[in-house]
Amino acid sequence: MNKTHWSRRVAAVLTVVGALCTTAAQAQTPGRFYLRGLSDANAVPVIVNSVSGNTNPFDPAHTVTPGANFDATMALVGYAHTFALFDRSAIAAVIVPMGRISGDVTVGGRTFNQSASGFGDPMLEFNINLIGPKAQKNIPDALRYEPGFSLDLLADLALPIGEYDSSKPLNIGQNRWYGRVGLPVIWQLGDWVPGRRTTLEFLPAVWMFGDNTDYVGQTLKTDPMFQLDAHLTRDFTEQFWGSLDAAWYSGGQASINGVTQGKKLNNVGIGLTLGYTINDNLNLTFGYKSTVNDNGPGDLQMDSFMVSLVFGWHPLLEGSKRLKGEK
Amino acid sequence: MASLEKESAGQASARAADGKSSGRRWLAGLLGIVGMLATLAVSDLAIAADTPRRPNIVVILGDDMGFSDMGSFGGEIRTPNLDTLAKKGVRFTNFYTNPSCSPTRATLLSGVDTHRNGLGNMDEWTAPNQRGAVGYEGYLNDRVATLPQLLRDAGYHTYMVGKWHLGKNPEQIPAARGFERDFSLLDGAGSYWDMTNFTGASPLSVFTEDGRYLTKLPDDYYATKTYTDKLIGFIDANRGDGKPFFAYVAHQAPHDPYHLPHDWRNRHVGEYDKGWDAVRAERLKRQVELGIMPAGTQVAERMWFVPDPIVLAPASRAILGKKMELYAGMVENMDFHIGRLIDHLKEIGEYDNTVFIVFGDNGAEGTDLFAQIAGKPGTRDFLYAAITWSQTHPNAWGDPGSYVGYGPMWAQVSMTPFSQYKGWVAEGGIRNALVVSGPLVKRPAGSINHGVMHVADIMPTLLEAAGTVYPGKTSGGHELPPLMGKSWGPMLGGQVESPRTAQDYLGWEVFGNRAVRKGDWKLRWQYKPFGKGGWELFNLKNDPAERIDLAAERPDKMKEMLATWNDYVQANNVILPSRSPFETLEDSLPPRVADDAGYPPLIYKRQFVPPKEMVADPQL
Repeated sequence: MNKTHWSRRVAAVLTVVGALCTTAAQAQTPGRFYLRGLSDANAVPVIVNSVSGNTNPFDPAHTVTPGANFDATMALVGYAHTFALFDRSAIAAVIVPMGRISGDVTVGGRTFNQSASGFGDPMLEFNINLIGPKAQKNIPDALRYEPGFSLDLLADLALPIGEYDSSKPLNIGQNRWYGRVGLPVIWQLGDWVPGRRTTLEFLPAVWMFGDNTDYVGQTLKTDPMFQLDAHLTRDFTEQFWGSLDAAWYSGGQASINGVTQGKKLNNVGIGLTLGYTINDNLNLTFGYKSTVNDNGPGDLQMDSFMVSLVFGWHPLLEGSKRLKGEK
Repeated sequence: MASLEKESAGQASARAADGKSSGRRWLAGLLGIVGMLATLAVSDLAIAADTPRRPNIVVILGDDMGFSDMGSFGGEIRTPNLDTLAKKGVRFTNFYTNPSCSPTRATLLSGVDTHRNGLGNMDEWTAPNQRGAVGYEGYLNDRVATLPQLLRDAGYHTYMVGKWHLGKNPEQIPAARGFERDFSLLDGAGSYWDMTNFTGASPLSVFTEDGRYLTKLPDDYYATKTYTDKLIGFIDANRGDGKPFFAYVAHQAPHDPYHLPHDWRNRHVGEYDKGWDAVRAERLKRQVELGIMPAGTQVAERMWFVPDPIVLAPASRAILGKKMELYAGMVENMDFHIGRLIDHLKEIGEYDNTVFIVFGDNGAEGTDLFAQIAGKPGTRDFLYAAITWSQTHPNAWGDPGSYVGYGPMWAQVSMTPFSQYKGWVAEGGIRNALVVSGPLVKRPAGSINHGVMHVADIMPTLLEAAGTVYPGKTSGGHELPPLMGKSWGPMLGGQVESPRTAQDYLGWEVFGNRAVRKGDWKLRWQYKPFGKGGWELFNLKNDPAERIDLAAERPDKMKEMLATWNDYVQANNVILPSRSPFETLEDSLPPRVADDAGYPPLIYKRQFVPPKEMVADPQL
């Protein structure tokens, strides 16, 4: 009959909501990204990436610029809302990249030392679960949630309104429509008990890009790129978890004015992530990722540190806190 | 006879325990030989008398199983195997045990009142003024003969699996008290998965197998499953000799913690979110339909400190309901393994010649046992619990390291329609569902009987079934206490409706709570606030839920019943304890108030909906 027990459980459930919100669509989607939470929860992520390599991290096509060396600080801020759609759990989110990038870029045999800063292309995201537990429309649903085997449908669309200077090859905005379609998969391994949760997760996705018809006065086309993210995640304690991450990038051949640029991607990155639940509202993750076997000409080279803070809330939890404060 | 057997068993336990003197060994050996010869002689006689064969006997005890849990007693819990026994045999609605477990077990196995057989109080709660008193040893004392000893002497194989809780020393364990084969948990409770017990001072459960103390448990151990496997093995090992067997199946289930294999945890998801009041009402409705309770029966008051579940948030009901889901799983899992035993007996052709006696050892458990044993932060036991018993997440419930009990609200459901639960002498603490089936039963299959019965009756009933008698004295001349029970033989044979007349009485006392029942009347004294700290009088025929105290109204009956209580005290060496686990309960619970349905109206009022034609937007 101890009521504080269940209220703590509720808080824990809602904390999961915080972990659900969208993060860096441009970066690899971290582990536990598509775990479900209570409907009608909200989250605001703040993600900071420090990236270096031979590609522009603001461009999810990961087009390689041979010989280039970029350094970027990228922040992503967004908003996500969970809801039930046809009795399935769904998420709608918007995220806005911002930051700065600088480095040497070679275009048409000429090397430029360039930099850019400002807001990037906002991205809209919609995700709906297709296979797995039904939407968590009330707290008992949330308390009983176990992902088991879950399959989602994911759709992202970036709006080409980010800052763009057509006189420069290096930009924060991409000046073209792009997006992706993916099928996030979560496979629960063993019990779904905080402190012991283990998941194997995959996100196969295809990125598709419109043309940038004003890329330093030329037309940039990029073939679709297939990206497969994989994570093996495991709780260390109820609040602390980690994951081993891997990503495979394939395709994404770029051409300028019909002239092929470099080679299409076929690269692998590996990484690790640590996650910590600070309190009922706040989740912290830290990650590092780097491409491997990337010394060949035209290979994708990228390594990044990532720190994210996600603030999640639900009216019920906030109301409960206010009432507890009254006692 | 009993003393010889006791010595023989003592020899067996001496083998298990090192360090006995050679002189004692010699004496024990000599007595053992004499005992064996005596046993063989009786056995031969018994075997010769096995024409027609005497029945096998299986006594199945559900630990803390409630009166209304089985489907055949109105429960929604699915117990097809127990229900089949009920359908084939007879259900009894006025069967009594003691209000706590070891006193019931001691009475079952000795046929003697618990204040004489060593469990005058539970070992864990022996009061200062009871220390050293005969009958209050805290284990099944050596002044009584045991049912397995006497059945073994009569030519039965005697097997035990499950919880013992009647002593841990070598001369107190099942092998020393008459069981040829055993696989036993000596403690009162513990993990179902391993040897983990509850306190830093006593961190490991103690098990014996065939009189040896186990250093580890078998691979793939799960209590209910392993007990069943072991018993089937015992039965098969001795099948060839044609002797009947007595099996005491003292399941640990469904006692908390609710440890349960995954497959059994999620068979009732969400079914109990409706809350305890609704489930109690449904159970009572079925009980009336089945004929377990008479039409017009009221459920007992909801405990005053338990809220009406309709005022709880869905999350509360889900979490609290999940505890009941697990409990239901515990009962269903136990039923499944009982089904395995039944199936096996059918396979080997022994089922039709087997008497089954099934019941719970006391009322359902409503007290938070874990809170009592885990201690407070900074204590030894809290530290132990933090390491071994801290799997508190609902998804971990059932796993090793989790501790779930279902609380007073669900205990009351398990005891529908009765009042209160284990530890108390209200009907919810002592009245249990009883099923008897098999060759002794001549009453119509599936019938229900309302005769007043007691766990102490089982000993004389089974001795009679085995064709033997209670010896009265040991061969050494030591007088055995008289059996307190009455054989069910005539009643099972259909000649009488009850083993008791209106003048016979039953008495109870544990932890200072005390009661007597005579005919339809019951006199009860309980610690506040479960009781009044004074005597209460109930007419159980009209008021089985003990809602109406007639003490002031019927001074004549009070006087008669008080005299009966005094008779019980005198006859059974009752020493009221100077200390009790309930002595300060009044200070820790909210003041007791009446359970008035619908009060206060405030919490039941719904949103007012005005007549449609009078609804309007505000005027500008």
